[in-house]
Amino acid sequence: MNASNETAASGPADTPTVPIHLRPARPADVPALVPLLMRLKRLNEEFDPLLKVRDDAERQADEVLRAQLSDPKAVILAAEGVGADKDKVVGFVRALVRERPFYTPEWEGVIVDIYLLPLYRRRGVGEYLLRETSAALKAKGAGVVTAEFPAQNEIASRFYAKRGFRPIQLLHARSL
Amino acid sequence: MAESSPAPVVEGRPARRTPRARRSAAAASEGKTAALGRRAVALSRFYSGKIETVPKVPVRSLRDFALWYTPGVAEVSRAIQSDPERSFDLTGRWNTIAIVTDGSRVLGLGDIGPRAALPVMEGKALLFKWLGGVDAVPLPIHAATPEAFVATVEAIAPAFGGINLEDIASPKCFGILEELQRRLPIPVWHDDQLGTAASTIAGVLNALELTHRSVREIRTVLLGAGAANLVTARLLLALGHDPHRLSVVDQRGVLDAERDDVDELMVRNPWKYRIALQTDGGGRTGDFAHAVAGADVLLAASTPDPTTIRPEHVRSMAPSPIVFALANPVPEIWPAVATAAGAAIVATGRSDFPNQVNNSLIFPSVFRGVLDARARSIPDEIVLAAARELALHAHDQGLSTTHLLPTMEEVAVFPHVAAAVGEAAVRLGIARRPLSREEYYARARQLMDRSGRLVRALARARLTPPMPSAKALPERNEG
Ligand SMILES: CC(C)(COP(=O)(O)OP(=O)(O)OC[C@H]1O[C@@H](n2cnc3c(N)ncnc32)[C@H](O)[C@@H]1OP(=O)(O)O)[C@@H](O)C(=O)NCCC(=O)NCCS
Repeated sequence: MNASNETAASGPADTPTVPIHLRPARPADVPALVPLLMRLKRLNEEFDPLLKVRDDAERQADEVLRAQLSDPKAVILAAEGVGADKDKVVGFVRALVRERPFYTPEWEGVIVDIYLLPLYRRRGVGEYLLRETSAALKAKGAGVVTAEFPAQNEIASRFYAKRGFRPIQLLHARSL
Repeated sequence: MAESSPAPVVEGRPARRTPRARRSAAAASEGKTAALGRRAVALSRFYSGKIETVPKVPVRSLRDFALWYTPGVAEVSRAIQSDPERSFDLTGRWNTIAIVTDGSRVLGLGDIGPRAALPVMEGKALLFKWLGGVDAVPLPIHAATPEAFVATVEAIAPAFGGINLEDIASPKCFGILEELQRRLPIPVWHDDQLGTAASTIAGVLNALELTHRSVREIRTVLLGAGAANLVTARLLLALGHDPHRLSVVDQRGVLDAERDDVDELMVRNPWKYRIALQTDGGGRTGDFAHAVAGADVLLAASTPDPTTIRPEHVRSMAPSPIVFALANPVPEIWPAVATAAGAAIVATGRSDFPNQVNNSLIFPSVFRGVLDARARSIPDEIVLAAARELALHAHDQGLSTTHLLPTMEEVAVFPHVAAAVGEAAVRLGIARRPLSREEYYARARQLMDRSGRLVRALARARLTPPMPSAKALPERNEG
């Protein structure tokens, strides 16, 4: 499912009042990012059998992350904790800039993964992640930001709806 | 259970006598349960049910029905129509509750469905009347989804002063209770959550007093994360227990905020998820053995298997450990084994050991109290007020390691708990009819005593046939 926000990114990021430190991810983060990405995919699996996680998903995650870290069309941000969690990656965002050959704005920034460890949720971190990701996507030329998540993930729907996103395309599936 | 290593059932010294004693205790108890079951079937056939409706007004002739029924009753209806609250004055609503179940988790029987749940609900209704003077209507319902269940209960609520939910599977019981509490203007209670948790809390409070501890300092492990323990955890936190010293353990081990299945819980069992976040494992991760080491209190409401908790678990706890093994019919550890391993205080769910943690000590009085106050709801403060009063009563009767809680014989406690509940309802501003504590007490006593008199009077008048002896009532094979 896609949700879109036409006004795209907000202005320059304010100082975060949130208990994280956000920075672009580096190859050295991959071992810490893989388990978080796997948690998100396993969560998605809860919502639909057609999102069943592959046996080799972990290796895939490693490869995809490494490839995208050097891809100029990808935005991968790592959220580090503070205090006792300093230097620990507690969340991440992965977003990709895609071309829209038939529509304007012609570049779309798609948030494919957004995940925070549970203790970091519901304190405005997600909002901050979204703002920073939007800014990074805009800087790469995106005129619209969208988000992909399982149709049944009502928590995600609510999260995005509160931030002005609405569904613009539906992805319907049936197995073959 | 979290533990998976197949350690010996009993290790080291205390062995010899205990395993045999334990085996025979289990065998004896099984034999006894089977015999009781056969007799219960025979008696159920003989009496054909356990409760009936009985008039509470005089009927001198059919002419009186002009008052009790039409045309007189129309004026009563109009009075209620113009002021719905008067349904509590002009009908039996003030003292009537529904015992509602979908039969999805009945006693130890599991998902047996509403029809098969009826005898259990009848028994509960009898307990409500006998102990609490409460008119309870057994109401097992077919409901395909939690939403359908909630809608059905909401639809029948106008007839009742309270709702007692019973034997509904976890975790759907949490959502059903929360939603009904939100929607209905009367107390909604789920005994498997609140009744069990309240009597557990009462026992814990007294156990702490006996061992000179404060709830603010202890480390506690809750083994099992079902209906009762999740509420016990919530109530402990409300009493000021440090969340970071409270470990909830289920089959997969300590429930911490980063456990692999925590996102699955967020979707499937938000109540467990909430506790995972609040306690973050109580500073522990891993299996039950890791969690229990150094703990002051172990509250088990998990698997009815006497090897669930092993002596070495108890030995690894802090000095003078407190162990509640509440699984029924078989506790997670036999009390003698726990004591031999150093437990200072042991409680179980069974009446044949000292310190029975029993929700029957709670629910009749809680309902007596909220009904007499005509309470609009039943918040945790009420649950805690009942627990505290129960604890206090055992205290007044002489607290000891074998008298942690009142027994079911100490019937004097019931009206006191009811009065404490009524008083709490007034304090919280949810009583439709605020009275003084003394008034609540007097009322509760009178209504509770009346049930006993009623049952005896019916027996004397031979309206209730005397209990046939086992010989007079052959136990047929019931397929
Ligand atoms: C989605 C996520 C990144 C949001 O981050 P966050 O820091 O919690 O978000 P914010 O604090 O800025 O906003 C929280 C809002 O999200 C929604 N939300 C988040 N978690 C929720 C939960 N467990 N239950 C209900 N709503 C929830 C609510 O709308 C909430 O607003 P509220 O707290 O005012 O009710 C984070 O919750 C997460 O990692 N969830 C699991 C992974 C996931 O679902 N990812 C999205 C799909 S790919």
